[in-house]
Amino acid sequence: MSTSVSEPQAAQAIRIADVCKNYGDYQVLKNINAEVARGEVVVICGPSGSGKSTLIRTVNRLEEINSGGISFEGQDIHAPMRASELNKLRSRIGFVFQSFNLFPHLSVVENVSMSPIRVKGVPPAAAHDKALKLLDRVGLADKANSYPGQLSGGQQQRVAIARALAMEPPVMLFDEPTSALDPEMVGEVLSVMKSLAAEGMTMLCVTHEMGFARDVADRIWFIDAGEILETAPPEDFFKNPRHPRAQRFLADLRH
Amino acid sequence: MIQDFITIIQDYWLLLLIGQYPNGPLGGLANTLILSALAIAFAFPVSILMALARLSKWWFLRWPMTALVYVTRGVPLLMLILWCYFVIPLWTGADVPSFLIMLVTLVIYQGAFLSEVVRAGIVSLGQGQMDAARALGHGYMGAMRFVILPQALYNMIPSMISTFVSTIKDTTLGYVINVPDLTFAASQVNNQLLTQPFQVFLILAVVYYILCWSLTYVANSVERRIARRRAGPRNARLPAEAAPLKTITEQL
Repeated sequence: MSTSVSEPQAAQAIRIADVCKNYGDYQVLKNINAEVARGEVVVICGPSGSGKSTLIRTVNRLEEINSGGISFEGQDIHAPMRASELNKLRSRIGFVFQSFNLFPHLSVVENVSMSPIRVKGVPPAAAHDKALKLLDRVGLADKANSYPGQLSGGQQQRVAIARALAMEPPVMLFDEPTSALDPEMVGEVLSVMKSLAAEGMTMLCVTHEMGFARDVADRIWFIDAGEILETAPPEDFFKNPRHPRAQRFLADLRH
Repeated sequence: MIQDFITIIQDYWLLLLIGQYPNGPLGGLANTLILSALAIAFAFPVSILMALARLSKWWFLRWPMTALVYVTRGVPLLMLILWCYFVIPLWTGADVPSFLIMLVTLVIYQGAFLSEVVRAGIVSLGQGQMDAARALGHGYMGAMRFVILPQALYNMIPSMISTFVSTIKDTTLGYVINVPDLTFAASQVNNQLLTQPFQVFLILAVVYYILCWSLTYVANSVERRIARRRAGPRNARLPAEAAPLKTITEQL
C-alpha cells in the first residue's frame, strides 16, 4: 500500500464519523457512521434518492458536509486546509463517475497520463508508458490514440478507471459506474472492478449491480433516506436482511 | 467608372497603406491592422480573466466585474470612446495618444463581450469535467488550464471569430478621435477629391471586407484542423463526433 511514511498508520482507510449534510431544509445525510478497512470492498446500496451518491462524493470532498468528519488514512479531509493540501489528498483517492467524465479534447492515453504529469510531476515519457500499461490492463491498449468520443460507453468507463489508477491511489471510489451503460457493456466494467478487488484494492462502490455486490463485496451498507440502516456481509444481507426497509428493497429487486 | 478606382488607387495607395508616414504618424491600413491585432491580442486574455472573475466564488472579484461587463455592454462603443478620450486626460493630466485610448477602449469593450462568450463556453461544459479534474487532484487553475478552457474556447470559436471581426470593424470608430487609420486616410482622400465619395468609400469597404473575411477564413481552417485531429484515425468506430461546428460566423 502506497502511503507516505510519516503519517500514523490508521487501521481504517476511510472513517466516516457523524456526518450530516443538508440541502437547505432537506437533510440528505443523517449522522452517518461507517468505516472502510484497508483492502476491504464495500458496496453501498439503497433506493434512488437515498443519498448514496452524495455520501460517496463527500469522501473526496466533491460535496461539503455540514457536520461530522471523514478521515482518509488518518487525515480529516473536511478539516479546514489549504487548497493545495486538499488537492494532494484528493489525488490519492481514485474516483470513477457514473457519466465517465473523460476529457474529450485529449486522446485516451493523454486522458490517463495528463494528471500524473501535471499534478504529480511524473516525467511525460514515464507517465506515457505507465498509461499504456494501465490501458493494457483494462483491455484497451489498442485504443490509446483514439479519442473518448470514438469509444463505447463501456470502453470509456474502463479508460476512466485506468485514469483514476494512474494516480496510484490506495483507495478507489465508484459512483454507479455501470448505471449509464447499455446492458451488454456492464460486464466488461464489472470484470475490471473485480480484478481490482482481487488485487486487494480498497474500494467503496455505489452500485445497483447486486450480482457484483454478492460476489465481490466484503460488506454491504444499506442506506435509505440518508441513514445507513444496515451493514452486513453480502451473504447475510441478501439472505437475512434485518431492517424492514432492506427487506422491502430486496423484495422489490426480485420483481 | 473602373478608371476612377484605378486612378484613386494609383494616386493614393501609399496614403491608404501607411498614412502620412514617415512625414507624420503611421496611419492607413497598416495602422488599422496594428490596432486590430493589438486589440484582439489583448482582449482575448483579458476576456478570459474577466470570465473567470465573473465565475469566481469571491464576491470582491465577481461583483465589480459583473458591473463592468453590464455597463460596458449596455453602452454604445462610440460613447465609450468619447468618454475615454475626454476623461482619461482629465484624470491623468497626461497627453495620451488617441491610438492608445482607442486601443484601451476596444480592449475593455470587446473584452466584455468576449468574456460573456468565454463564460458561456465554460458554463455549458457542465460540472462533470471540473469534478473529474478536481477528483484527480488538479487545483482550480490547473483544471481550468488543462481541462476546462481548452474545451470551452474550442467550442466557442465561432462566436469568438464574430467578436474578433467586429473588433476590426470597430477600429473605424477611431475616426472620431482622430486615430489615423484606414478610414481616416480614406476620408482624407475624399476631402482632396471632393467629387468621388462613392468610389473612395467603396474601396474602403472592399478592403475591410477582405480583412474580415480573411480572419474568418483562417479561423475556420484552424477549427477544421482541430476537429479533424479530434475525430482521430479514419478507421474509428464513431467518426465525426467532433463534427465541425458549422459556423455562425458566415454572417458577419
